Amino acid sequence: MTLEQALQQALNGLSFGALLFVLAAGLSLIFGMMDVVNLAHGAFYMLGAYVALSVTRITGSFWIALLVAPLVLGLLGLVIEPLLLRRLRGRHLDQVLVTIGLSLVIVDFIRLRDDWGWGATVRSLPFPAGLDHSIPIAGSDYPVYRLFVIGFGIALAVVLALVHRRSRIGALVRAGVGDAQMLSALGVDTDRLFTVTFAIGAALAGLAGVIAAPVFGLQPGMDTDALIYSLIVVVIGGLGSLGGAVAGSAVVGPGDTFGKVLVPQFALALIFAIMALVLLFRPTGLLGRIRIGR
Amino acid sequence: MIEIHGLARDFGGIRALAGVDLVVAEGERRAIIGPNGAGKSTFFNVITGELRATSGTMCLAGTDLAPLTVWQRARLGLARMYQRNELFDPLSARDNVVLALTLRGGAYRPLRSPTRAEQAGADAILDQVGLAGREATPAQALSHGERRQLELALALARRPRVLLLDEPTAGMSPAETERITRLIASLDRSLTLLIVEHDMDVVFRLADRVTVLHEGRAIVEGTPDEIRGDTQVHDVYLGKAVEA
Amino acid sequence: MRRATLVRLGVVLAFWLLLVTFPQWSAEWASSRYAAGIIRQILIFAIFASSLNLLVGYGGLPSLGHAAFFGGGAYAAAIAAQRLGTDELVVSMGAAILGSALLALVIGFLAVRAVGIFFLMLTLALAQMVFAIAFQATDLTGGSNGFSGVHRPTVFGADLGAASDLYVLVSVVFLLVVLLLWRVTTSSYGQALVGVRENERRMRALGYDTRTLKLSAFTLAGTLAGVAGALAAYEFRFVSPNDVALGTSVTGFVMVLVGGAGTLVGPFVGAAVVLVIERVLPSQLPIQTLLGIVFILFVVFARQGIVGAARALAGRVRA
Repeated sequence: MTLEQALQQALNGLSFGALLFVLAAGLSLIFGMMDVVNLAHGAFYMLGAYVALSVTRITGSFWIALLVAPLVLGLLGLVIEPLLLRRLRGRHLDQVLVTIGLSLVIVDFIRLRDDWGWGATVRSLPFPAGLDHSIPIAGSDYPVYRLFVIGFGIALAVVLALVHRRSRIGALVRAGVGDAQMLSALGVDTDRLFTVTFAIGAALAGLAGVIAAPVFGLQPGMDTDALIYSLIVVVIGGLGSLGGAVAGSAVVGPGDTFGKVLVPQFALALIFAIMALVLLFRPTGLLGRIRIGR
Repeated sequence: MIEIHGLARDFGGIRALAGVDLVVAEGERRAIIGPNGAGKSTFFNVITGELRATSGTMCLAGTDLAPLTVWQRARLGLARMYQRNELFDPLSARDNVVLALTLRGGAYRPLRSPTRAEQAGADAILDQVGLAGREATPAQALSHGERRQLELALALARRPRVLLLDEPTAGMSPAETERITRLIASLDRSLTLLIVEHDMDVVFRLADRVTVLHEGRAIVEGTPDEIRGDTQVHDVYLGKAVEA
Repeated sequence: MRRATLVRLGVVLAFWLLLVTFPQWSAEWASSRYAAGIIRQILIFAIFASSLNLLVGYGGLPSLGHAAFFGGGAYAAAIAAQRLGTDELVVSMGAAILGSALLALVIGFLAVRAVGIFFLMLTLALAQMVFAIAFQATDLTGGSNGFSGVHRPTVFGADLGAASDLYVLVSVVFLLVVLLLWRVTTSSYGQALVGVRENERRMRALGYDTRTLKLSAFTLAGTLAGVAGALAAYEFRFVSPNDVALGTSVTGFVMVLVGGAGTLVGPFVGAAVVLVIERVLPSQLPIQTLLGIVFILFVVFARQGIVGAARALAGRVRA
């Protein structure tokens, strides 16, 4: 591999990692707070992309879609959590099962909505105007959009970190991730906190869907891919922490990208192998919180 | 029967056990007492294997326990009555004990159903601990005292050589305490007992010898009367610093 | 054998006899062949669901990667028949059993080192690896196009290609699997599995090697799933990566839960419900949506499944 190619792949790895971060942050947050692995996370991601597709078609603006899709997903989360998950408090496995059923419904819904321009055919979302060209980097042209994704990921990480550390809701999240029962005993309305957390997690998944759509397109099966990748990221990086999502994406993003280029046959196996190893020897992940007794 | 030397266990910076020496003869009934935080639960957890020792040696009837897993030590004849009940809640009291019994003969033949003999044996043990008539009741439906009795039954069912009793009377009414204490007192003398207890009356009734733990170390050992009069023990319980 | 057991065995055999002769005594009915086909598929997936039930219902091991063994068995049967140039049942089914057992042993060896949610994620991830292999190993598996042209098996030369012959084969295998699982779950081994599910810590303190217990259950379940897979390969004459995909694992889970986890009959009922929804209901209806909603409803309101709820009801009626 030449230096130019390596640089290109490094940038690809970074942009993929940034995307993974946006995707995994929500999953990690929901697990950290509620001890629920939201297996509908991929479906939320997929829905976000398709909502963006329609919004872009209607308004002609990618940026409006970038705003609207996460909002829609957040609203959906606000409705689903009290409706389905709250009544299953304490039954963690059952909550996970419910999210499975949820993903079935959402994915099927998308598949059937041909009349909305969704459906089972492969769709694409055009790059937003202004980010649809390439600029020369180290000798060859590199898509500006991917640089935008890197920037966006970093910016989001910074924003989330600030909120996490400096704001009241961040403090509540930090406390809740540590010990939700204690928080409830201190008089905090944990039900509402959980609902908001779930909504934020869903919104982040939807956001990831919008960002990813111009690069990866929209097709059946994208929910499973997203779910698998986000699971791998949070397991490697550490379930339940933002830092974990960062660490995991930093490993999987470049790892997957370089793996696909250098050893295409084994790229997938490599990532899974890393995940399996982490799960076996350090189940809390590289930066995760201690959660083994669940 | 039990030989422990220099047993230590660290948790990060905390020395829960700082070098415990303990030698218990076969058939002896040794009580382990000490103020809260002295390391008694950690001690039991290290002996059974649920926690790994940081250093030190432990032997059961001459066999080194260190390389053995929890279940391997159990098969050597080590049994435990947990402080917080570890029962099979949806199963009946009888089925709980049958699970414990099935392994008594060593490796079990997996494809046969629990035999009538095993069920009768389970009933006998339930009778011994005072649960006669409650055999078919699900464990989760038993009262707290009854659950404690079932907990003891599970430990006894395996006919162990060494029985670790982790605060057997914890949370019990005076009547229940009396019943359990009498039960333990009536156990066969060939069984070696290690009892962690806070209730001094129980200790004086049951123990042949007493070991006092403080800050992860065994500071005093002797007969119950010797311990009763020992000033160091008084100081430890009253919170004064002690030269180990 | 105790009398109660003999009576139950009699009921099971009687029911089975009715089942296996269904094509004959329903011959007058216009939809007889169609119904027989549906029953065949129900039985195949009942085997799959029953194997998962051993893990989930009895062992308390929530596996979301069970399709790896189902599809693995299907591929093994198809590939073996093709490569070895024979359609003998012993060969292809034997390959399915061996292949899925080995796969289950390998995956299980890793998976049983994790508990609860980590176990779930690990099985999911490892099964996805199998999916990726099935997808990419085009020379062996046909890749995304799948493996078509799978032959129905022969038994000592006699071709079982006809639907009615396959029906008998599936019914016989189903009975054998049911009897085996019955024996296993009522034995000390089965009780030990339940013990591990309820309180693994206590089981270890009692002297049980729980890791090996879990691994053996995992391997047995995987092997039986492989058997179901081989039957599916014969039935549909086609194997695809879809057979090892997450969707198939999920469907299995739905069958177990809706039917009744931890019961012997549950998986059969669950398979019947799911397959009727999938094949019998008009295709204009949103099938997956329906399944998803049914699944959610059961998880929230009827966690014990149909059989569990029926038992609870019977208990209350009796009281």
